[in-house]
Amino acid sequence: MKRLIIILIGFVFYSCEDEISIDLKDAPSALVVDAWINDKPEPQVISLTATQGYFNSEEPRGIAGATVEVKDSKGNTFEFRDNLNGKYTWDPTNVAEKIESEGTLYQLRIELNGKVYTASSSLNRVPIIDSLKFTFKEEQNVFQPEGYYGEFVATDFRGQGDTYWIKAYKNGVFLNNPFDLNIAYDAGFNAGGNIDGVVFIQPIQDAVTPLNDDLDAIEPYIIGDSLYVEIHSITNEAFYFLQEVQIQTQRDGGFDEIFAEPLENVSTNIVDQTPDQINKVIGFFNVSSVSGRGRKLME
Amino acid sequence: MDSGRQLIFIFLLSIFSVSILSAQEKVTLSGYIKNEADGEALIGATVFIEELGTGTAANIYGFYSITLPSGTYTIQYRYVSFSTQVKTIELIENQRLDVELVTESKQLDEIVVTSEALDANVSDVEMSVEKLDIKTIEKIPAFLGEVDVLKSIQLLPGVSSVGEGSSGFNVRGGSVGQNLVLLDDAPVYNSSHLFGFFSVFNPDAVKDIKLIKGGIPANYGGRLSSILDVRMKEGNSKERSISGGIGTVFSRLAVQGPLKKDKSSFFVAGRRSYIDILAKPFTNDATLFFYDLTTKVNYDFNDNNKLYLSGYFGRDVFRFDERQGFDWGNVTGTLRWNHLFNDRLFSNFAFIVSSFDYGFSFGENDLDKFDWNSRIVTYTFKPYFNYFLNTNNELLIGGEATYYKFRPAEAVGVSDGQVSDISLDNKFALESAVYIDNTQKLSDKITLRYGLRFSSFQYMGPGNVYEFQATSPGERKELISANKVNGRESIKTYYNLEPRASLRYKVGNGSVKASYTRTAQYIHLVSNTAAPTPIDLWTPSTNNVEPQLGDQYALGYFRNFGGGNSFETSIEGYYRDNKKQVEYVRGADIFINEYLEGDLISGDGRAYGVEFSIKKNAGNLNGWISYTLGRSELKTDGINNNEWYPTRYDQTHNLKLFGEYQLTKRTSLSANFTYITGAPITAPTSRFTIQGVTIPYDYFNQRNNLRIPATHRLDIGLKWLPGKPGKERRVDDYFVFSVYNIYGNKNPFSIFFSQDQGRVVMGDQVNTLANQFSIIGAPVPAISYNFVF
Repeated sequence: MKRLIIILIGFVFYSCEDEISIDLKDAPSALVVDAWINDKPEPQVISLTATQGYFNSEEPRGIAGATVEVKDSKGNTFEFRDNLNGKYTWDPTNVAEKIESEGTLYQLRIELNGKVYTASSSLNRVPIIDSLKFTFKEEQNVFQPEGYYGEFVATDFRGQGDTYWIKAYKNGVFLNNPFDLNIAYDAGFNAGGNIDGVVFIQPIQDAVTPLNDDLDAIEPYIIGDSLYVEIHSITNEAFYFLQEVQIQTQRDGGFDEIFAEPLENVSTNIVDQTPDQINKVIGFFNVSSVSGRGRKLME
Repeated sequence: MDSGRQLIFIFLLSIFSVSILSAQEKVTLSGYIKNEADGEALIGATVFIEELGTGTAANIYGFYSITLPSGTYTIQYRYVSFSTQVKTIELIENQRLDVELVTESKQLDEIVVTSEALDANVSDVEMSVEKLDIKTIEKIPAFLGEVDVLKSIQLLPGVSSVGEGSSGFNVRGGSVGQNLVLLDDAPVYNSSHLFGFFSVFNPDAVKDIKLIKGGIPANYGGRLSSILDVRMKEGNSKERSISGGIGTVFSRLAVQGPLKKDKSSFFVAGRRSYIDILAKPFTNDATLFFYDLTTKVNYDFNDNNKLYLSGYFGRDVFRFDERQGFDWGNVTGTLRWNHLFNDRLFSNFAFIVSSFDYGFSFGENDLDKFDWNSRIVTYTFKPYFNYFLNTNNELLIGGEATYYKFRPAEAVGVSDGQVSDISLDNKFALESAVYIDNTQKLSDKITLRYGLRFSSFQYMGPGNVYEFQATSPGERKELISANKVNGRESIKTYYNLEPRASLRYKVGNGSVKASYTRTAQYIHLVSNTAAPTPIDLWTPSTNNVEPQLGDQYALGYFRNFGGGNSFETSIEGYYRDNKKQVEYVRGADIFINEYLEGDLISGDGRAYGVEFSIKKNAGNLNGWISYTLGRSELKTDGINNNEWYPTRYDQTHNLKLFGEYQLTKRTSLSANFTYITGAPITAPTSRFTIQGVTIPYDYFNQRNNLRIPATHRLDIGLKWLPGKPGKERRVDDYFVFSVYNIYGNKNPFSIFFSQDQGRVVMGDQVNTLANQFSIIGAPVPAISYNFVF
């Protein structure tokens, strides 16, 4: 929704914007758990890092020395080994146990400096992508220039409460700008929307055509480009988490600031088993099934 | 409930005992006070009986009534910038006397107020009230030279906004949704054009505005913070006149005149912005404009019956091509019937319709599109009785019933020809109130005004009833059940007793005033954006969302100085205590969300402050200084570690200066200066990365913990009447040259935190920055031409 409003409002008003330097309060660091794993047959990574000052753009400091494991409800244990820089990895190749069955529950357990952190996720169903389409469109306006627009066609399952993260890769590169973050609750924007069991609604389908780097127009595909789309099933909690991430990170400035929501910490599903005031933990654990499809734009 | 009925009964009894005691052989003088030039009723014109040293004032329809022992009296009819009319009357029996006052000479009215002392601000029981007439509003230098009602009231003590580009206004630390904005009795649900740069009130059509910040009389209710009562012009009942203006942003035209001389008149005023037309060659199909139409017709059947029909229609349109865009607007209609039962009992019956809606359209063709709109529609009936009991008591009795229809979302999405109707069900409610209010002069020194309002709200079917279960504080509530209600049965009913009281006590040449107001608010303006916008959503109290309740205490000292009371000064302190203010949970989704109620939570609010005001009304140089020292805070479970935090519109210092200097008979200079403490915002301390997205993080989990820099601005204006001295022009016209923000200060609207634009390769780190955003960062010059003929 936000992406739509931003495109709409952004252009009309001349705004006056300056980068400024301000002193933010010094804060201790918190533990960050980035644990999004899936059923793809490739190495799965859980990273443990530390938060850093807001204006510090160095690579986050990895946290070594933790024991990280995931157990499923069928009795399998997946051990994630410290690889480097706080990246704990488990490789599904050449092992018997797999992350694959729908409905299975997964428990994450991290032990670090005598403290235990846990989180849980279920592996939910994911619809297949029926097709990817490129449609040539005339110039609509300044933001929708002439060119090929990509969209994916997939149908949400019947029954309310399926949540998805739709990831797009252009020429093999994951589109990871905050404005590319594309999530769906059933086939629509949110739980209260009641769009269930149908093709994903138009703004979600179309969002696989990214904005340009200046975020002021859509950048259509050109001949020779490839598009790869993945649907990751996510838990409802993960959907709300990503929705909060959208609110906090889709900041384009300018006149959109009038519509901006106040800054707020995003939620976390990581539970500190012995909570205290000093060791704060944030981050998210989610297990996904993934479906994907690719297509190259030919003449 | 029972105790409520009892209270009302006791209250009525006490008022009737007053009336019995004073029911002696007396006669009543009554009538309407009007402007001689155009027949407009003069709201608040005073009637002063020299022999008794007492008097009364005309009500909002210009009607006055005063009951006296029979005898011969010298009576002064007075109104600001009008010549006082003195009549000697032998009052033996009840007498009707309609009076028409004459404006002081045209050239003089800019400088001179009346020769008589007018000290209403000291002698009235009313406090915390700001009045501006359109003449004053026209003198204030305005953004792009366009005179504006809402911008003008923001120069008064206790009134502010969060900045250029925000809709609405804030009063005494209250939110925008806590103001009741009335246009000829009709509620206006969004008072702004173009994101708050202009208001919906066409200055050509406005006669008078009154802002009640505290000591709200019992005849008003439904919002916690303030009442802005805007009255439209009635139309010249003497002769046809055309007025208008050509400005930088829009043009205005108004036509008024008699339909039947002295009996019936009409008024039609319209405006349209034309930036879009000028910009057309550069913007292809993209447009941005607004227009509005304000109209009124009135008819005097006879001495005792008058009918008024007024309406407003306005729309903002913001399109980026033929199919895609965003628009919003208000429609209001008011039918009023004034009826005099006798010379002491005045009544008015109003039937009102009001609606506000906004809509979005996206998608390039009918097979792929997304259309969405949202609307609130209300129907109101308001009977009002004004009973002039005797010289010492003036009674208001009345009621109000409003039927609400909320349409949160009518939305249709089409993907590859597959249509999904994702509209939400309508919500219905009935709000009603009865009230009684008495203004009583106890002695020369003491006047009391006291009243009671009994209000109720029924959230009713048909609709869905949801039950939620609270999870942890500040987080989305969990849905446990949903039931459909088919009939018009009540789902949840709320009642409230709202006592009101004000006191004025004369001390020497000044007066001390105190007031207490309790108000209940049953509909809520839900917004999760930094500034109020047109897409904020009005939503009713339900079984899950409780009404807001507010108490306000105010105390003030009022004193005038100088010959002819040329200096008016006042100091007022206020304290507001609010319960159940509506807030939202983390990540709340207020658009097209069937379970919105699960995303709303409530907290406590408090606001306090002191307002200082000095006004100079006479001489070549006049104007005012107003300064407010204030605080506005909220406390909500689950937010800011459950501690008090400042609201986005908390402004410690708020200083406004306005001055006007008459250079020559044909030119005057004006200026206003504003200084406001920067708004508080939430800033992060840290950042972290999840799945390649860098997210801001506040380790201390605080809300509104950083102040943006203070804003200040100077605007100037020059008004020039063309022509030669002593030569009468056929047209009354003038030019206004103005510069807004003359020293080009980049006043910050907000500071926001974001990552650098552009994409980074997965695994690389992004830069995160703080940006300061100003809506207007340069001087904005403008010129406009205005005429009346």
